[in-house]
Amino acid sequence: MTLSLMKIPRSVDIEITNGCNLRCTYCSHFSAAGDVDRDLPTEEWRRFFAELGRHGVMNVTLSGGEPFYRQDLQDIVASIVENRMRFAILSNGTLIEPEMASFLAATGRCDSVQVSIDGAIDITHDSFRGEGNFVKAVNGIRTLQRSGVPVTVRVTIHRKNVRELDSIASLLLDGIGLSSFSTNAASYMGLCRKNTELTQLTAEERSLAMETMLELVEKYPGRISATAGPLAEALMWAEMKEASRLKNPRMEERGFLTGCGGPFSNMAVRADGAFVPCSQLGHIVLGQINRDDLLDIWQNHPLLWQFRNRRLIPLSSFEFCRDCPYADYCTGNCPALAYNLTGEINHPSPDACLRLFEQQGGRLPERLLHPTPVT
Amino acid sequence: MSESLDTKITANPLIVLREEFDDWALLFNPDTGNTFALNPMGVFIWKILEQGELSSAITRKVCESTQDAPPDAEKQVEDFVLEIVRLGLARKEGERDS
Ligand code: SF4
Ligand code: SF4
Repeated sequence: MTLSLMKIPRSVDIEITNGCNLRCTYCSHFSAAGDVDRDLPTEEWRRFFAELGRHGVMNVTLSGGEPFYRQDLQDIVASIVENRMRFAILSNGTLIEPEMASFLAATGRCDSVQVSIDGAIDITHDSFRGEGNFVKAVNGIRTLQRSGVPVTVRVTIHRKNVRELDSIASLLLDGIGLSSFSTNAASYMGLCRKNTELTQLTAEERSLAMETMLELVEKYPGRISATAGPLAEALMWAEMKEASRLKNPRMEERGFLTGCGGPFSNMAVRADGAFVPCSQLGHIVLGQINRDDLLDIWQNHPLLWQFRNRRLIPLSSFEFCRDCPYADYCTGNCPALAYNLTGEINHPSPDACLRLFEQQGGRLPERLLHPTPVT
Repeated sequence: MSESLDTKITANPLIVLREEFDDWALLFNPDTGNTFALNPMGVFIWKILEQGELSSAITRKVCESTQDAPPDAEKQVEDFVLEIVRLGLARKEGERDS
């Protein structure tokens, strides 16, 4: 396996603030290593965006905390635009004012504002995000839509909304009129670690979520996506199971810790300006913006190379994966989850382990295992 | 190179040259999000266009830069530059943004 590296990351994920008006029960940011005690002033970000622009970085994704919590967000966005980049914003949607929405639209460079909606009704959404925030988030989406800003929604699937997924899809796609939305699941990071019983799906609930999400994907073709969580897992695991049943040869890019391609195209920066490989791995500090050279860190930092080289570690080398019939088809999944659950980055993530899921009584949807033949 | 094409051609300053693998690169238009792949010769030409140059001089510089330029090198360069202009990545002198 050869590891070729582009000269500079294509995109940079920036936690632009550590501040947030909410404290969601399963927030992956607070109480994790990215939860730092200071934000950088506008001027520091301006200098950094000039460096990104000079090197040809194409996209910046602003997250937090809550990006709209920053009073100087317009100046920050203006600087991204001046430096010939595009941007996306991840938001809880509750602080979006019409004037800000018009400003974002006028830049012509906004790929999307992603708002989190976790329920079809306020009781569900607010149960983990705080009272009154459903209405505010939906209003935020409508404000963005009125200004012509591209809006997407991320639904985090958890124990309280897992039986409401079809109404959520209907609200988002039929009611609010979004073109699409994506899903993931409350995962063992940040505040979720303390609230796992309350928030994280059991194997049975995960099976239910998979079944429902697949039905919804059929009902709304091309409009629901996932890179993590039950929908993504159902598709990947069904493929693994079928390959194992047929005793297929090892699949390309499988059988090793290949679950994360991020460090080959992306980098991240914490709210205090520390370079990190990924926002979810805030403890791996690679340097500091405006002091250390981005190019040098990207191309040469030993910790970043160590992280990239995990792709060369075979799953067969882990006791955890011993005798697993899926080992030739598995990627070991997200290193940040692996780190949170096992204390090791160079380990498969137990959260995304098909064998464990089955041992815990989880079932993959029948429709994936025995698809109806097309006549 | 035809007379009519021998005008000064300049890279659109909005377009970003993003060097990626080896000597290959992407041209990135941040207003549309579109990208256009450049091989090493394309990158060489783009760097000339960043300064602004007559199309005949671009061809000359390219031919001078390679020892084994193919017989149709001039035509290839001309087509490439026309394509870049057509895509709005560079402008002929006197042309304005649409
Ligand atoms: S999940 Fe987002 S909105 Fe909720 S507390 Fe965390 S940063 Fe704030
Ligand atoms: S034990 Fe789990 S993580 Fe390891 S190869 Fe099997 S399915 Fe993948």
